[in-house]
Amino acid sequence: MKEVGYRFDVIVVGAGPAGSASAYTLAKKGFKVLLVERGRIPGSKNVFGGRVYADPLREVFDGFDDSAPIHRWVTKERISMVSGDAMTSFEFYMRKNTSFTTYLTELACWMAKKVEEVGGTVLTEITVDELVVENGKVTGIRVGDEKVSSEVVIDAEGINRLLLERAGLVPKLELRHAGLGVKEVIKLPKKEIEDLFSLKEGEGLAWLMMGDITGGLPGGAFLYTNKDSVSLGLVVMLGEAVKEVREHISRYVEALRLHPLLERYFRNGRIMEYSAHLVPEYTWPSLPHRLYADGLLVAGDAAGLLLNLGYNFRGVDYAAYSGYLAAKAVEKAHEMGGMTSENLSVYERLLEESFIVKQLRKFRNAPKMRENRRLYSTYPELLNSVMGQLFHSSYEVPKVMEAFKRARKGRVGWLDLISDLLEVVRSV
Amino acid sequence: MLKVVVGIKWVPNTTSVNIDPNTGTLIREGIPSVVNPHDLEAVEMALRLKDEYGGKVTVITMSPPSAIAGLEHVLGMGADEAILVSDRAFAGADTLATSYVLAKVIDRLDYDLIIFGQETIDSSTAHIGAQVASWLDLPYVYYVTHAELRGGKLVVRRSLEDAHETYELDLPALISVAMHSLNPRRVRVSNKLRVKLENPIKTWSNEVLGLDPECIGLRGSPTALSKIEMVPKVPRKNEVFRGEAREAAKWLLEKLKEEGLLELG
Repeated sequence: MKEVGYRFDVIVVGAGPAGSASAYTLAKKGFKVLLVERGRIPGSKNVFGGRVYADPLREVFDGFDDSAPIHRWVTKERISMVSGDAMTSFEFYMRKNTSFTTYLTELACWMAKKVEEVGGTVLTEITVDELVVENGKVTGIRVGDEKVSSEVVIDAEGINRLLLERAGLVPKLELRHAGLGVKEVIKLPKKEIEDLFSLKEGEGLAWLMMGDITGGLPGGAFLYTNKDSVSLGLVVMLGEAVKEVREHISRYVEALRLHPLLERYFRNGRIMEYSAHLVPEYTWPSLPHRLYADGLLVAGDAAGLLLNLGYNFRGVDYAAYSGYLAAKAVEKAHEMGGMTSENLSVYERLLEESFIVKQLRKFRNAPKMRENRRLYSTYPELLNSVMGQLFHSSYEVPKVMEAFKRARKGRVGWLDLISDLLEVVRSV
Repeated sequence: MLKVVVGIKWVPNTTSVNIDPNTGTLIREGIPSVVNPHDLEAVEMALRLKDEYGGKVTVITMSPPSAIAGLEHVLGMGADEAILVSDRAFAGADTLATSYVLAKVIDRLDYDLIIFGQETIDSSTAHIGAQVASWLDLPYVYYVTHAELRGGKLVVRRSLEDAHETYELDLPALISVAMHSLNPRRVRVSNKLRVKLENPIKTWSNEVLGLDPECIGLRGSPTALSKIEMVPKVPRKNEVFRGEAREAAKWLLEKLKEEGLLELG
């Protein structure tokens, strides 16, 4: 292994949101930073559903509102319960710049450019083969037969943590700790998107669907409107779904696109992209891994920091913010005299004090709740049955409670119903 | 010591390109560009010669500045220098005007050997190598799969469908590498670091080269494209039979008979 002729204070592995946020924060403070990415461009290995919350990014990146690649501000939230061809939706509209849709690759490229603007070095097409560990301390990275050294490595390699696994720092990823997101990006004229979904220019829709629309797999479907395309896909819980998947997962997205309730939207559409990616599904605080070691910090999906509530996902902003906190930890460890495990442990404290861990703690029961299969079949059916009785009765309309009783019968017992309801209310 | 110049082209990744059915032109919008893959083989051959005999590899490209990403890639593979030949005055060039500019660039460099790829994936003319050799009055061999030095001469193997030919060339010379003959190496982290931290890419505009505007760009390009005809789409029926293999076979035979594609005795 040859040492290359350049040394860095910090090496960040992975130019996704977490890695770029770390690299940017540290380069801005004058640290000599190297950010390495295995894809041909930053973000080329990233996949997300379609929406990002802006404020955490605003806090991390200067000039966010001037130059970040924002497609549409989400002003319309729609949550639908689907059974067969029936759908009950709940819709909320409010004009406010809180979260936006974009292409993650564009956003990641923008972030990496910000890193270069403040003096960081960004290398693409570099696949790190291994973290170099000497006397129990991470001292750099190995790429092929070459070593690049640094005081500290921030591992933001994503959910597929090959480097951490090879270094024996984390166990192999278990199915129950992962979801699988699959999606298509379908190109549509900008104006048509606005007409189809009743949006004003620059406004976006975030639409989540539960029920048998996922082809019976436990999880949810989503549709996000981009500038001149929509992202359509589903996230399934792997631990449960793996027993039941009978076809290639791409078929499930295809079925979604051809679903009687959805196909009307895509008649003039052209599929531009198909992608799939794992999603972390951990329960805080029982992470099966540590987030720091001598000379090492772990951020983003590699650290398992993503919140999935079923009705909302927080991934990109959590990843970026955890990267930012990892950078803060490096700053503090530097002031304390070095990148020892003890000094870097401040990272865990910073995370604990941040909205990320507070939220993950608050919603720690959400993953368990989402394992309840009745959420995906029984309740959407029940709800649509009630609505059907109320609105598809030409002469005699039942009272709501009457309709509910009829719908419940044979579907779910009172005990299950009440305990499920309590669980949902307590979890989210 | 061998001083090698390699020419590369920055092209839209045509595996993902569509043709506009109305205009017949490539829809380039949003298509990521790449180094023409056959040119990477030319770079690989140059680097192998450098590995063997020492020397220097200079890569040139005539392109808009976005091609810097491509030059960074070949520098990452191990090339020593790169020159981006870029000027609005060069835009709209056909192969004649392009080869003229490239020849004038190479003329200013100290070289023993020039290597091009066989052709590009976006236009496939395979003109540039031959034309540059003509401008510079150099011996030219194409479809080269192997090159080595022997007694101060370059010995190259030229692979044809039914024969391998061996040529001995006086240097300087120009060769084009047969496509799919070499596997381009991966980038090295030390090389990529050098690119970022020492910036070895030079940009030459026509201010540097001072070429006659009549010989470059659109004005220097006599090629006129009169018409593009699209290959008509064969209508497909897309019928799928799902079921037992035997049933499927019967169904298929029936269909083939119906279409008159099969006569059963």
